[in-house]
Amino acid sequence: MSKKFVSIKAAALVATATLTMGVLGFVSPASAVVDCTKATVSGNGCIVLTVNTFGDVIQPALVAEYRKLRPDVKLAIKKSDLDALNGTGLFTQCAAGGAGNPDIAAVEISYSGFWRSYPQCFVDLRNLRNNAGKNATDIKKDYLPWRWEHGVGYNDSVIGIPTDVGGLEAAYRWDLFKLAGLPYTRASVSSAWSTWPKFIAFGKKYVAATKTSKFKAGLAALTKTGTSENKKFYATQKPVGFMDNIGTVYPAVMNQGTEKYYRNNGTDQGQLIFKTNKQVKLAFDTTVSANTANIGTRIGQFSSDWNVGMTKGTFAAMLAPAWMTSYIKGQSPTTKGKWDIASAPGGGGNMGGSQLTIPKGAKNQQEAWNFISWYLAPAQQLKVFEMYGLFPSTPSLYTNKAITAGKDPFFNNAPVGQIYATGVKKLKPIFEGKLQRCIDMAMGSAISLVANGKEKVPSKAFATGIAAAGKCK
Amino acid sequence: MSQTTVGKARASKPPSPWKPAKPQRKVNNPNAVPSLNGGWGYLFTAPFFVMFLIFGLLPIAYSVYIAFFNWDALGTQEFIGFANFDELFVDTRFWNALLNTLDIWLLSTIPMLIFSIGLAAILHNPALRGSTFFRTILLVPNITSVLAIAIVFGQLFGRDFGMVNIIVGAFGFEHIDFVQGTTSSHVAIASMIVWRWTGYNALIFLAAMLAIPNELYESASLDGAGKFKQFIYVTLPSLRNTITFVLIVGTIGGLQVFAEPLILGGSFNGGDSGQFSTLTLFLFEQAFVAYKWGYAAAIGIMITVIVAIVSIINFFITRKLSGESK
Repeated sequence: MSKKFVSIKAAALVATATLTMGVLGFVSPASAVVDCTKATVSGNGCIVLTVNTFGDVIQPALVAEYRKLRPDVKLAIKKSDLDALNGTGLFTQCAAGGAGNPDIAAVEISYSGFWRSYPQCFVDLRNLRNNAGKNATDIKKDYLPWRWEHGVGYNDSVIGIPTDVGGLEAAYRWDLFKLAGLPYTRASVSSAWSTWPKFIAFGKKYVAATKTSKFKAGLAALTKTGTSENKKFYATQKPVGFMDNIGTVYPAVMNQGTEKYYRNNGTDQGQLIFKTNKQVKLAFDTTVSANTANIGTRIGQFSSDWNVGMTKGTFAAMLAPAWMTSYIKGQSPTTKGKWDIASAPGGGGNMGGSQLTIPKGAKNQQEAWNFISWYLAPAQQLKVFEMYGLFPSTPSLYTNKAITAGKDPFFNNAPVGQIYATGVKKLKPIFEGKLQRCIDMAMGSAISLVANGKEKVPSKAFATGIAAAGKCK
Repeated sequence: MSQTTVGKARASKPPSPWKPAKPQRKVNNPNAVPSLNGGWGYLFTAPFFVMFLIFGLLPIAYSVYIAFFNWDALGTQEFIGFANFDELFVDTRFWNALLNTLDIWLLSTIPMLIFSIGLAAILHNPALRGSTFFRTILLVPNITSVLAIAIVFGQLFGRDFGMVNIIVGAFGFEHIDFVQGTTSSHVAIASMIVWRWTGYNALIFLAAMLAIPNELYESASLDGAGKFKQFIYVTLPSLRNTITFVLIVGTIGGLQVFAEPLILGGSFNGGDSGQFSTLTLFLFEQAFVAYKWGYAAAIGIMITVIVAIVSIINFFITRKLSGESK
């Protein structure tokens, strides 16, 4: 970068900063009563922690609890509108030298490989000590080892602390499975689709069954029997496909391996192995064969059709991380008791989760660390699990009664906590690198080429994907 | 400009009666206040130009600069000359985005032009009661958040349970997968644009129609022209400048369609196979998802060039069309 442009950039920043301060200068009146809930800037005995987040990473009930604990700290929470995963703001702010950074930023797991290569954008959490005198190294033992790695930078600095863990199991409509004449109890479904080929075969059987007159007659019979609520419910069921979207198969298979696109060769950057790693080919081929078997509905996840389809039985199975269970409950309360949870094919997996980070340039680093180390401690994660169903990343809780004994009536009394705990304990750390997300997207496009019929030969699409991934830099 | 040339200009081309004459900068008028033409003028216009310099011109110049780099904003920057452009010209995603954008632009602009002129003609009718009310509500779609529009339209166009498909199904047709299809997704996006901008443009056309002198209509009706013929031979030719304006503004906006395809697909790739990826969406994806800033800057420059080319073509076509209709 030439000197000229540095100075122009600096001038622009100074101009922005002066403007901001000028505006804020009018906002803070000297007040006698300290009510920090109304504070917009730190001062007058109040500390305002700015938090950039998305989705449900920061739960309001716990924010309220922290307010009681620390009335002098106010959390100013901002959710990003366009960039759901909160990558953009962090990136530009780091490029601008940390100016305008929040005190706490949530980073989604699919960005973690990328951010690991830029530890200079974050405060090293090993250098901060909370009220109890603990730094990141002291609390490391509380977390799942493979989950902890997502927040470790290339230079071994700790840049983020894991929030919940997704895990990955499969949620399914046992009532529709039963109607199709397929196994429908937790144990029998888990063993019936223990591998991916079996899962696809199972899906084919289900789709074939929904087209039979027997299935249709069975559904029609259900609309006439039972309570009026039940009759109404079954009258609206429109079975179309087996699973919601076959695109979810690819990351699931990828996460079940020991290596993804990188090999840990002892260096910071790792070694790119996506061209030769058999797991990549396996994940691609499995997804393509799920597509060929036509077991998906091709509804995009989180679209309105998907939300409604959950209630209407458009699909009968979906790969579900723990946080998805509360999403299903929220979206389709009328299906209560008609879902169940079986093990994911291939055994275990992960989808989703985040890290809380303190970006470089944050003004209240000490208070930010106090909050993060409190919010993500086992005691608070347990509350989040009980209230919102987000699964804790702290294994000490997996023997807690709330998790082992809890049965969820929505999921046909499945021991949800136990199922997810078993799954997430199986996973091993996978080395992630800077280009992870870019390669993921290239492979995703290649799968879409096949799924949309634009490329008839899967091996050609695979080659296209690998070539596109090769352009990532 | 001296008094004599002004006089000449007047002699050769009479000023239009419905447009205020352009103020002349240096008229030798003894009553004019001369002192303000000194340095004060610069001071008073400075706030805009300083802001424009910092937030408008500099970023533009800066992005031209980084277009020639492999620009890792957090790492190293390597000068690579025209390599970004070379890569861009053979990047199928770019040409796909360009075609999608042009298709969406055509699908939205033409219906919008027809609807808004039609609406303006209705509002122009003096027999219409409560015209102020209608003029006001025409602006409601325009002040509605694009995101809100995109979310609602996304639901309307849902494959299984969207209202459009429920109606399609009621007529006995197969449901259309608007999001997965190429043309169908373009129609969905174009409909959002049409809905949002028709009212606004109708008001612009209405203003232009109100400026047409009544004498023209009177003489037309004396010549025996009915309402429809008056519309074709008096109203439309008089609107040619306005149509050019609306088309150029619409082109600039239409080639920058962003929020609608983003919300429809829920991600930056513009659909599973990029079937409704647009130029700006592709730019944003390259800049903030793939973090290739130099490449994104190159895309930005290409968008500017394309907008300029399309605007010039637009300008000449509308000129030509209005020349023929005279």
